[in-house]
Amino acid sequence: MNATAPVLDIRNLTKRFGEFTALDNLTLSLERGQILGFIGPNGAGKTTTIKILVGAMRPTSGTATIAGADCVRDARRIKRLVGFMPDTFGAYDNMRVREYLDFFGAAFAIPRRVRAKRIDEVLETTGSGWMQDRYVEALSHGMKQRIGVARTLLHDPEMLILDEPANGLDPQARIEMRDLLLKLAGMGKTLIVTSHILPELSRICDVVAIITQGKLRAFGTLDQIMRDLRQQRTFEIQLCGSAQVDAAATAVREALEPGERDGVRALATESLVRFDTARSDTELSAILATLVGRRIDVAQFREIPKDLEDAFLSVTRREAPAA
Amino acid sequence: MIPVLRREFLGILRSPRALAALLAAAVAFSLLVLARWPAGGLVDLSGAGSRGAFLVFAAALLGGVLLLVPAFPAASIVRERNQGTLLLLFNSPIDALGIYAGKFLGVLSFAALVLCTTLPAAAAVYAMGGVDPWRQIGLLYAVIAVMAILSIAIGLLVSTRATSPDAAVRITYGLVFAVAFLTLAPHALTRGTTGLYATIGEWLRRLSPIPVVMHLVGQGGAVGGGILEKDSGVGPFLASALALAAVLAVATIFQLDHRLFDRSRDAGKITDDRSLWVRIVRRFVFLVDPQRRKAGIPGFLNPIMVKEFRTRRFGRFHWLLRLAAGCAVVSLLMTLAATNGTMDWGVETIGGLLVILQIALVVLLTPSLAAGLIASERERGGWSLLRSTTLSGWRIATGKLASVAWTMLLVLAATLPGYLVMTTIKPTMWNQVMLALVSVLLAVAMTLALSAAIGAFHSRTAAATVTVYVVLMILYLGPLVVWAFRGDPFGEQVVRFALSITPLGAGLSVIGMPGFTQYELIPIAWKVAGVTCVLALVVYALQVWRLLRPE
Repeated sequence: MNATAPVLDIRNLTKRFGEFTALDNLTLSLERGQILGFIGPNGAGKTTTIKILVGAMRPTSGTATIAGADCVRDARRIKRLVGFMPDTFGAYDNMRVREYLDFFGAAFAIPRRVRAKRIDEVLETTGSGWMQDRYVEALSHGMKQRIGVARTLLHDPEMLILDEPANGLDPQARIEMRDLLLKLAGMGKTLIVTSHILPELSRICDVVAIITQGKLRAFGTLDQIMRDLRQQRTFEIQLCGSAQVDAAATAVREALEPGERDGVRALATESLVRFDTARSDTELSAILATLVGRRIDVAQFREIPKDLEDAFLSVTRREAPAA
Repeated sequence: MIPVLRREFLGILRSPRALAALLAAAVAFSLLVLARWPAGGLVDLSGAGSRGAFLVFAAALLGGVLLLVPAFPAASIVRERNQGTLLLLFNSPIDALGIYAGKFLGVLSFAALVLCTTLPAAAAVYAMGGVDPWRQIGLLYAVIAVMAILSIAIGLLVSTRATSPDAAVRITYGLVFAVAFLTLAPHALTRGTTGLYATIGEWLRRLSPIPVVMHLVGQGGAVGGGILEKDSGVGPFLASALALAAVLAVATIFQLDHRLFDRSRDAGKITDDRSLWVRIVRRFVFLVDPQRRKAGIPGFLNPIMVKEFRTRRFGRFHWLLRLAAGCAVVSLLMTLAATNGTMDWGVETIGGLLVILQIALVVLLTPSLAAGLIASERERGGWSLLRSTTLSGWRIATGKLASVAWTMLLVLAATLPGYLVMTTIKPTMWNQVMLALVSVLLAVAMTLALSAAIGAFHSRTAAATVTVYVVLMILYLGPLVVWAFRGDPFGEQVVRFALSITPLGAGLSVIGMPGFTQYELIPIAWKVAGVTCVLALVVYALQVWRLLRPE
């Protein structure tokens, strides 16, 4: 396979269940060693996509390839190329961590001697060596997630697909999981990570895909998505006192286009006026000048920085009326 | 209490299992009336027809309660604990007694509902004449209701202690059947003697509803080689069963508090890291120490099979050794009893009992191992992990079957010394023993295939286990009930047909067990078992293939 070719190539992927379209013409690609943050509200089509990628579901139309292997036709090769961690752990009773990993190593037909060495390696990579004699069912949620990642690494797959790896973790465990995922990307693994904890994703992902109602709404690097969103920026005017909040809000409304006026919020208790606008910096300076000209005491006039959460909300709200 | 009762009762009623149970009871008892209702406008003045109908009615009623009721209380508390809702109940104003009473009455209400569906059949039996409405039908319902109460009390206690719903279901069924059937064994062994053992045997016998029911239907001495020949008082059974249920209830209520959650995580101690002294002691105690670090799974073994052994608590080798040793001791003791002449039963009867022991082990153990082979994977998320590995469907299916087959063969092998002693005493029995062993092996194959096939259609282990137990109990106990009532109401043809459904009858017939010798069941019973086995395996394989292929 060409080293520069995308490791993941999804084209016009569609999945229908009768009348219901779970996935609608999804097209995206991913380079080797990148981390893709795959986000969307519940029922958006994330799990359907993942199931198709790991060969557990057939698409109605379209294609998906991982490292050149077709997810439908080369199901066996896909299993070797992909390490999959579903959102349920899949614990077995009366089994110690090492036995658990040994079983999955044997399931991937890794020879016994190589397997023992490989288990040591993945336990070290995930920082779980100390729990190798623990019973799997007695592990905490955070420990289980680490062992889940260790399991996906056993057969040294090219791509890891992790469904909600940070779900239910405490802040410390979440930071450790984030570091672990960055470490895996550093090892050259390509990762697809779904999560609802968007600040976590924004810190580790190279590429983000936002999906709602089975359709890809935004795809690109975090910067690219933010640039698109920046067309609609949010500003905040901090006043010296709450008495002038209404006057300030009126002045801002007068300065904005009619379509933007509904977005002006006057927060008297916080002495704040907040508004969304697509106006240029020059036009905004005119608004500030108007406020000062009306003797409104402005303490601060600032733009609220946007993050992945805002991008997600912006995209999902934009699509909500179509639902 | 009322909210718990309401939720428990409605929860049961909303489950498809409950609907199936109610429908099955209603249909089965309606068919019973239809089958036994006098045709052609002739009146049966002797009352034999109505007594026959009452007998079948009572047996079906008792069997129905033993099979249906334990499943509901067994999973009741343990499922709530695992789901976390039990903790919510503990933090509500409802106390332990209220929780227990709610759950108890919820299941009891359902049992009462099932019994209500049988009332038209009871009325029809009464209308046929010859059956006393109060002294027979009324007392029968009282006995059945008390047995239901005892089953619920056992189920709730087990549910409090068990760690998973399927384990609770298995243990509850085991205990309920032990109360119904095993309690008769000591009395049978000490029959005609006096002393402490005989008294204990007599007391234990009072816990079983079978002699009471048989007495009520006028068959006190019909079956069991003397087990049921005495006048079986209803009073002692009702009193002892209710007393036992009360004791179990108190024990359960005392355990229903926050201590249920006060269990630390297992630190996972390993024998290899312990002192030399501890290692030596454990080597003597366990022979095969479950706490030692295991070597990796060898390449020549099916990893699924090894995983199945390792994940079963009683699949671990030290437990298998204990089980096998126990079976060997029981089989040798039975043979010893026969050779010493302590029991005037003869070698054939002992041979028959050995066959019954083996098949009882098969019927009791196999579903607990095989019913959840696929269901437990689906229930706990393991199936999606197995699908993501390179294991083929064939290896998954065969690995799982092999893990149960090896266990059962090991257990059965442990009962062989008894046969060996028998053939030494009476060498002419060699061929009979061989044929009986083939029947037992076929029983293993058939039971395993059926359990795996039925269980594969479930996504919850507890439900799979219950369904498999019910099917197997009907398959294995049904023919014995028919045989027990040979002559009246069941004719020769019906008995022969019933006994050929499973290899049990063939085994008993070929070994020369009194009462079975007149039936020629080989090869028909073997053919039936073989065909059933093949069909069930095909269904199992197809279901595994279906579950593994992309959705």
